Amino acid sequence: MTPRVAKYVAFGRVAAAHALENRAELGGRMAFVAIILGVFSSLWRAVAEHGIPIAADRAALVWYLAATEWIVLTAPTAHVDIEREIRSGDITCHLTRPFSYPLALVAQGIGMILVRGPFVGLAAFVCGVVLTGGAPSPTLLARFVPFAFMAMLLVYGLHVVIGLLAFWLTDVTPVFWIAQKLLFVLGGLMLPLTLYPDWMQRLAHLTPFPAMLGGPAGLLVPATAPDTVRLARDLAVWIVVVAIVARTLFERAVRTLQVSGG
Amino acid sequence: MSTAPAIRIHGLTKTFRVARTTLVRAVDGLTLAIAPGERVAFIGPNGAGKSTTLKVLSGILHPDEGEATVLGYVPWRDRRTLAFEIGTVFGQRSQLWYHLPPRDTFALLARVYEVDSSVHRRRLASLVEAFDLGACLDTPVRQLSLGQRMRAEIVASLLHAPRVLFLDEPTIGLDVSAKAAIRGLLRGQSQDGHATLLLTSHDTGDIEHVCERVVILHQGKVLWDGSIDGLRRRYMKTRRLTLWSEAEQLTLDLPGARVLAARPHVTEIALDPGTTPVGALVDAACRQGLLHDLTIEDTPLDEVIREIYGEAARHVS
Repeated sequence: MTPRVAKYVAFGRVAAAHALENRAELGGRMAFVAIILGVFSSLWRAVAEHGIPIAADRAALVWYLAATEWIVLTAPTAHVDIEREIRSGDITCHLTRPFSYPLALVAQGIGMILVRGPFVGLAAFVCGVVLTGGAPSPTLLARFVPFAFMAMLLVYGLHVVIGLLAFWLTDVTPVFWIAQKLLFVLGGLMLPLTLYPDWMQRLAHLTPFPAMLGGPAGLLVPATAPDTVRLARDLAVWIVVVAIVARTLFERAVRTLQVSGG
Repeated sequence: MSTAPAIRIHGLTKTFRVARTTLVRAVDGLTLAIAPGERVAFIGPNGAGKSTTLKVLSGILHPDEGEATVLGYVPWRDRRTLAFEIGTVFGQRSQLWYHLPPRDTFALLARVYEVDSSVHRRRLASLVEAFDLGACLDTPVRQLSLGQRMRAEIVASLLHAPRVLFLDEPTIGLDVSAKAAIRGLLRGQSQDGHATLLLTSHDTGDIEHVCERVVILHQGKVLWDGSIDGLRRRYMKTRRLTLWSEAEQLTLDLPGARVLAARPHVTEIALDPGTTPVGALVDAACRQGLLHDLTIEDTPLDEVIREIYGEAARHVS
């Protein structure tokens, strides 16, 4: 391994260790998955009991939600850290060191996902089994996991882009809220996109959000499973797009420092 | 050791746009040279241009005009290469990972600076001993005291043996003994490793105990550049005398003497020894009754610097 690669591997390793040591956050994310799945499982049972067809296959909906929540709750909330670093001026410390800040962010994101993923995933899986009395086949799970990992990276990339906007906006919370609501609605957080009206499905597919949630989660619901080749292509394209946007924003931000000062 | 300056700045100017139409000249034609191994304090009121100069010297900002080299590199052009040779300590900013022990951050920094593992182990052992960090090397940063954390921050900045160290308020928020320890360690590290040290601080204790030269900036320009002793000689024309006398009140109407405060049996006086020698003032006091005790102090550096800032502000207005 070259020294250049080794430094980014080290960033990933330290971020992973940090995520593991931050037990309160890890425990909170696991608990939140359990609460959400418990609440919505009860809701769909009640809906089904009233004969509303949307909740006819409650088990499928629970596993779909377990998958989307796993992705959302594993993806690190990078915007919070980046915003804090920009507001406090810590970002300038990073610029005096021999590494690329955007590449370090990528490495840290992968490290955190590799630690949080198994824990949050285990919580989601156990809850899914308890609430539905069964589990998706190992084949479905094996196909789903790599796509989920790519989706987590894409959600993380979105958070990085939002965080970098703090160079201009200082407070990115409103942007995050809007992006998060769009992700939940157009990504299909709670219901598969196939249940949406046609016009809304078309609109959603113009955005990266379905590739972040509904696409990978749909792999666990055979009736709505997307074309895996198309999903892989969508995820790869959107990851590249988000990476280019993040890099461009960072370069522009550094130029902004030249004009406005730190 | 090379005789070429470690840091050379000539006519450095940097302007920022604050609002859409307002331009602020943060650094205005700055010129100075710092020799290898020199320990220089960079001081000035807020907005004097200290941080901007440090950012230009560390390659973060490009100047509008002028030239600068650090260890022969042009910082804004050779930022990545220069980064291997410099270290930074920002007192209010942390480079340590909060939930991990300092050892993990140190290992990360060794990778970042591409330090060979055996060299890193040796250097870490020596710094841990010098900074007395052995007991907290494996304790999560969140459980360390502020003084321990600051010592760890400085070790983190010294691990790659930087030839130039930029320090911004390195003792801010520390208690008196922790400040003294940090100052001694910084001075020692600079002397042992021949590192050039550029420090900004509002605490004159940092300046007096760590540095040998002081550069005072005001509105981006150099107001004073010289030794701390020279600063005292140039600006500390008065001594502060406190007299404890038998007489309830002393009448000391002498040229160059000014009563600062008077309480029964205690008189504080500012005296210009160039106008009236200390002996003459003591004689005058003794003529009015027994003198129980006497202290003579330099004017605190804080007051001198405040006076210089005030003078500059009056000059501008």
